[in-house]
Amino acid sequence: MTDEFDSLDPNVRWIVTEARRPVPVDAAARARVIDAIKAEPVPSRGLGLVTWLSEPHRLALPPFATAALAAGLVGIGVLGGLAINRDGRSAAGQLPAVAVGQPQLPDSLSPRAVKFVLIAPQATNVSLVGDFNGWDSGATPMKTSGGTWTVFVPLHPGLHTYSFVVDGTHFVSDPTAPIAPDDGFGHRSSVVLVRKPSL
Amino acid sequence: MDRYYERCARFAVRMLGSRDDAEDALQQTFLRAYRSLGKYQERDRFSAWLYRILVNQCRSAASRRSQRERVFVREEAALLNAADRRQGWAGEDEELVQRILAELDPLLREAFVLKYIDELSYEEMSAATGVGVSALKMRVKRACDRLRARWEHIKDD
Repeated sequence: MTDEFDSLDPNVRWIVTEARRPVPVDAAARARVIDAIKAEPVPSRGLGLVTWLSEPHRLALPPFATAALAAGLVGIGVLGGLAINRDGRSAAGQLPAVAVGQPQLPDSLSPRAVKFVLIAPQATNVSLVGDFNGWDSGATPMKTSGGTWTVFVPLHPGLHTYSFVVDGTHFVSDPTAPIAPDDGFGHRSSVVLVRKPSL
Repeated sequence: MDRYYERCARFAVRMLGSRDDAEDALQQTFLRAYRSLGKYQERDRFSAWLYRILVNQCRSAASRRSQRERVFVREEAALLNAADRRQGWAGEDEELVQRILAELDPLLREAFVLKYIDELSYEEMSAATGVGVSALKMRVKRACDRLRARWEHIKDD
């Protein structure tokens, strides 16, 4: 690409350089797009995913056929399906205790506690990254119990992408997620669809 | 969505010139992508899949606009300038580049922007546009030739 760029006519190269500058993005326009998406019903395949994730059953995990197998890692994304207060963002690890028994909020956009689980007995630390925490590997550390790493995160209804970061460097997607898009930067992400609470 | 929004916004603005049209195309792109997530095949790169939707939405937007007499109107250029000045960018250069791109044939502009602005490979461009690699190379070459000629013309003015 660089060679192709360098071989361009200097004037065309100037046009390319100027046109590559990012365009100002109107925050209100972006918000309108997000609102429009939130107003959409959950896609049909996603509905199955959410229903499946909401059911309180244990998952039979397929054996790993990827690089994660060598590391002995197994990931599970589980939707907790618990309604929580908006102020429940604090102390993510305490969310289940706070959430259990509370009525669901009528606000269909209220966050819901989503439980993420990764079985990684050989890992020394695991964190959760996603669009909900700015992909910051220091923002959402997971707690371990016998090699099973868990964390509850309050997520608003809608689509969220996420990944696990093992030992600070290895990005591990959720092998049970039916949709794991390539993020375009070499990392594989998983997707969770959080359903609006039924009223 | 955040990871792709700005890149998609740049493509839409470069293709359509008009900020309003670009916003409409972006909204339609992300809505369609959301609705079609179930059809997304994991073997594809997500960005390539999204580009395919984006390219089609921009084509549709351009087609709709051509029916109501398209132009990169001065008001929109002024808007771009105002935004650029706020961010300390060279508004005049931005307007000039946008005008030069707008004068290209849409198919040539599409190929040129995908190749040199979004830096896609010809294979990725082919996947996004449904056009063969040879035809795309030809369009990119023609676009470069016309841009160079147009620039010479501007310098002579």
